[in-house]
Amino acid sequence: MNESADAAISMIGIEKRFPGVHALKGVSIEIRRREVVGLIGENGAGKSTLMKILSGVYQPDSGQIFIAGQRTRIDNAADANRKGIGMVFQEQSLLTNLTVGENIYLGAEAQFTKFGLVRWRELYAAAARQLEKVKVDVDPRTPADELSFVARQMVELAKALTLEEHAEGHLVILLDEPTSVLERGEIDILFARVRALKSRASFVFVSHRLDEVLQLADRLYVMKDGEVVAELTSAEADVAKLHRLMVGRTLHADYYYEPLQKPFQDRVVLEASGLAFDKAYRDVSFTLHAGEILGVAGVIGSGREELTRTLAGFAPQTAGTLRVGDREVSLKTPADAVDHGIGYIPRERRVEGLVLFLPVSANITLADLASLTHYGLIDASEERRLAKEWVSRLQVRTPTIQTLCLNLSGGNQQKVVLAKWLNAKARILILDHPTRGLDVGAKQEVYELIRALTGEGLAIILTSDTLEETIGMSHTLLVMRDGVITHRAAASRGAKPQQIDLIGYMV
Amino acid sequence: MVLVLLCLIIAAINRNFLTFGNFVRVSQDTAIPLVLGLGETFIILMGSIDLSVEGVLTLAAVILSMTVLNGMNDNDFGVFAVLLVLAVGALVGFANGLVHVRLRVPSFMATLGSWFIGVGIANALLGGMAIRINDPWIRGLAIQRVFGFPWGVWLALACLGIAYVIQSHTRLGRYIYALGGGEELAALSGISAPSVRIAAFTLAGVFYAVGGVLAAAQLGLGNAQIGAGRLFTTVTAVVVGGTALSGGEGGVLQTFVGVLIVSVLSNGMVLMGVPPSVQIGLQGLMIIGAVALSIDRKRMRIVK
Amino acid sequence: MEQTAKSFRPDNLRTWLPLATLVALVALVGVAQPGFLEPGTLIDLASDTAVLFVLATGVTFVIMLGGIDLSIQSMASLASVIVALTVPRLGYGSFLLAIAVGAFAGLISAVIHVRLKIPSFIATLAMGGVLFSAALMISKERSITLNESGRAYQSWITGEWFGLPNVIVVGLVVLAAAHVLQAHTRFGRYSAAIGAGEPAAYASGVKVSRQKIYAFVLSAAFAALAGVILAGRLASGSPTLAAELLLPSIAAVVVGGTAITGGVGSIWRTLVGALIISVVRIGMTFLGVNIFAQNIVFGAVLTAAVAITIDRTKIPIVK
Repeated sequence: MNESADAAISMIGIEKRFPGVHALKGVSIEIRRREVVGLIGENGAGKSTLMKILSGVYQPDSGQIFIAGQRTRIDNAADANRKGIGMVFQEQSLLTNLTVGENIYLGAEAQFTKFGLVRWRELYAAAARQLEKVKVDVDPRTPADELSFVARQMVELAKALTLEEHAEGHLVILLDEPTSVLERGEIDILFARVRALKSRASFVFVSHRLDEVLQLADRLYVMKDGEVVAELTSAEADVAKLHRLMVGRTLHADYYYEPLQKPFQDRVVLEASGLAFDKAYRDVSFTLHAGEILGVAGVIGSGREELTRTLAGFAPQTAGTLRVGDREVSLKTPADAVDHGIGYIPRERRVEGLVLFLPVSANITLADLASLTHYGLIDASEERRLAKEWVSRLQVRTPTIQTLCLNLSGGNQQKVVLAKWLNAKARILILDHPTRGLDVGAKQEVYELIRALTGEGLAIILTSDTLEETIGMSHTLLVMRDGVITHRAAASRGAKPQQIDLIGYMV
Repeated sequence: MVLVLLCLIIAAINRNFLTFGNFVRVSQDTAIPLVLGLGETFIILMGSIDLSVEGVLTLAAVILSMTVLNGMNDNDFGVFAVLLVLAVGALVGFANGLVHVRLRVPSFMATLGSWFIGVGIANALLGGMAIRINDPWIRGLAIQRVFGFPWGVWLALACLGIAYVIQSHTRLGRYIYALGGGEELAALSGISAPSVRIAAFTLAGVFYAVGGVLAAAQLGLGNAQIGAGRLFTTVTAVVVGGTALSGGEGGVLQTFVGVLIVSVLSNGMVLMGVPPSVQIGLQGLMIIGAVALSIDRKRMRIVK
Repeated sequence: MEQTAKSFRPDNLRTWLPLATLVALVALVGVAQPGFLEPGTLIDLASDTAVLFVLATGVTFVIMLGGIDLSIQSMASLASVIVALTVPRLGYGSFLLAIAVGAFAGLISAVIHVRLKIPSFIATLAMGGVLFSAALMISKERSITLNESGRAYQSWITGEWFGLPNVIVVGLVVLAAAHVLQAHTRFGRYSAAIGAGEPAAYASGVKVSRQKIYAFVLSAAFAALAGVILAGRLASGSPTLAAELLLPSIAAVVVGGTAITGGVGSIWRTLVGALIISVVRIGMTFLGVNIFAQNIVFGAVLTAAVAITIDRTKIPIVK
């Protein structure tokens, strides 16, 4: 494989593990000259880890990387740049306090510098030339924060292209979900540019939007659970086939403890009417019942992340009303949400879920210390008793209740977060990517717990990494796209919709 | 602009404000804070803070007074003394940067240490004494005038010019802004944050040392108290001028305006008969006001 | 699947090193100057430490939350001026007045920090200036000595109780009260949580702003108390009375093992830290080190202590 004359980059047998997760299990891909390679797969399939290795952010545990036939290591981002690998990121990575030209040549100003002074006229002239390559009509002296998203994306592309003047081999540009913030017309522009640029560079196009990948890529790799499961040309592929390859299995009813899914009760615990927040979402209305799991599906930019934050109290809605129980509430801070019995299990569990440097017991009681306080003092023995009780009920594996949460595995950390809310007698839980970063065993434990809790009347709003998980766990589904709810569906036991049925409403 | 408004108000209250003599006085008051402010600006642009201003200034002034023609010993190194002092400033700045970067100590802590070490060394060298400076060139900085303004003022303006060139026309300047605007992003473009940080602190140290030279010239002597209170006015000036504490915005020209505002205000208060004790308090309020107005509240939800 | 925490080692270091250092230092000075270990000297040492300890205790609350208070020395000085000026007229009331002013000043600092979202070091630096200014104004820029009748009111500071100087007793009371506050109240728990993980504390429903306000009020109130005690010991009040105490106070907290990043720490650590500072200071004097040069040592020790105790995993980007 490393003899292929056309290969700009080969990655062979790449392995990467993180604590609790085997992210890449011997992945091999090849990027040839003058082509666009698509990389698809679900969240957690390993796409972004692979790209991070290629761009120097991570080092592989084992495996080889060949650039233009030479075995090599990519030590860091700057090194990747030197070797002709450029990146255009999913999240905007232009420095907003600098101009377009400054951003394009950030870190590479040396070529314009004489006697220590930067010759701005030359730099801006060069920047203008780069911008021309991508045909975007922007004055390089414009401050970056004045540009629209698509213009910024183009500038990033231009920046990546500057490498071709200095790179040793063929230029390879990684496009990581470049279209998630773009509108339809803008996406076409981007694709046209990329196609025009194929003569000078190869591209790796990572995206979850299958139709777009088919539109742009020449060849694709499908990844699942850390492995490459298929390599096809785009002519050979269609969305349905890709889907089957990505998902690879029909929903195992037992994986999500579906048999334990009990119908929910009639009592309404939360009601949203016409919720809106700036440009993120609008017209959101739904009801949540005791014992119900409401799953919200949507890609980045659909508004579901912001909706989740609103419900958890971080960002009060700009319009619409929210009722908890039978009272209208205004959740201006998470403390308000907690007062109304709403608990938030955050995506960033180590940052927002737990105070890592406090012991398990302190974390469990953090949301409700008032009950433990008598005459101003915390009842330490009562706290210990409670902590032990929860640890045993949720089967948290920890040496002692005094152990710092830092030392627990991801799954057990998540259980502590759950214990905290249960201790605070939360009746509604907002789960934000609850199984992210957990291994299969830990995930199962979380699913089991969720089933048990909803069986007892707890209500849950679930936002998850994968559509499969959302469908598998929920009683009811809301699908969002571009800020509005595009579809509602029931997901009762034994009658779950297929992902294919819903994807159309998401992208 | 605030500055113009301020001048008009003060002029209205006391005609003496608009005399040439008064301008000279204001400019003299401005010279040292300006030079100090230039150094601090670079640090704040990166999103850090440098509390060692007084330490470096004092150390510089004391060493200068001991090495030029003075009343205590027989040294007479003239220009070399100035170079020595600048090197000392650079060295302290370099140490600040090193401690900050290699030991990962937050900038305010690292520079807090240097502040006291600098003043401490000065104290150790002099105790409570002062050394009179007899070198004519140094004294000339404060006394001799060109076009009506003392050499010291022209020197400060020259520093402003140099600082401006560094800020806008060198890579170091750009990188400082980049670090302030988004350090992780900057690192992805291959900018070495540690190198830039260390360079910036070193540069700031040199500016503070220049401030020390000017201060020694102005007072005609060097002692260990020469730096007292200057950190406060420096930070006030930078912040009031419009350089954001979060970094990435502002610059030396803004600091120049800020220093002028503070000086003019002081001058105005003196002309109006306000006692100096009140002025300090007012400066404190100004810092708060300026920061409150300029801070980008949405970005800084976690404020420590 | 448990992960072993590498941070256990710095944690243990942070816990035992200060105490070990204290013992070693006392032993060191004692060997060089046997007179040091006499009960009389040690009691004097403890008395001298009291003011520093009270100051440091106050700022410990703020540091545990993850902030800093650079106004404590100005607050203490202002308190001394208030006492010196009002003791003739208000008697014991002057002490309460000083502390009340302290609490109020702390409230203002806190509100500036919390509502205007100004970093604590700027808010307190500025506040320190304002307080200094106020002290200068009301004292008319001079030091005020207390006369006989005034000093009588301060007997609770200058007197003795069963042979133990009152200051030590006051210090012990402060120790007890502060310890309870920090280790056994909700405020103490919330402070530790905020310092160690503010986002998680916020998400868990902790009213972060309120806790910060409490901490700054406490810091300023304790600073005022320290100023009151100082005025008692020196029988005078002046705007610069406590000016030299800022660095040693912060050093005491940090050297004792409380992380400057917040979250980890206790009043006991501050006590050990304050004693270390005192021993170093007095020890250096015993050994003939220039009193001015001592600041150099403090600066270096402070930096070293921070470097050792800081929790690097929490700060990906050190600014």
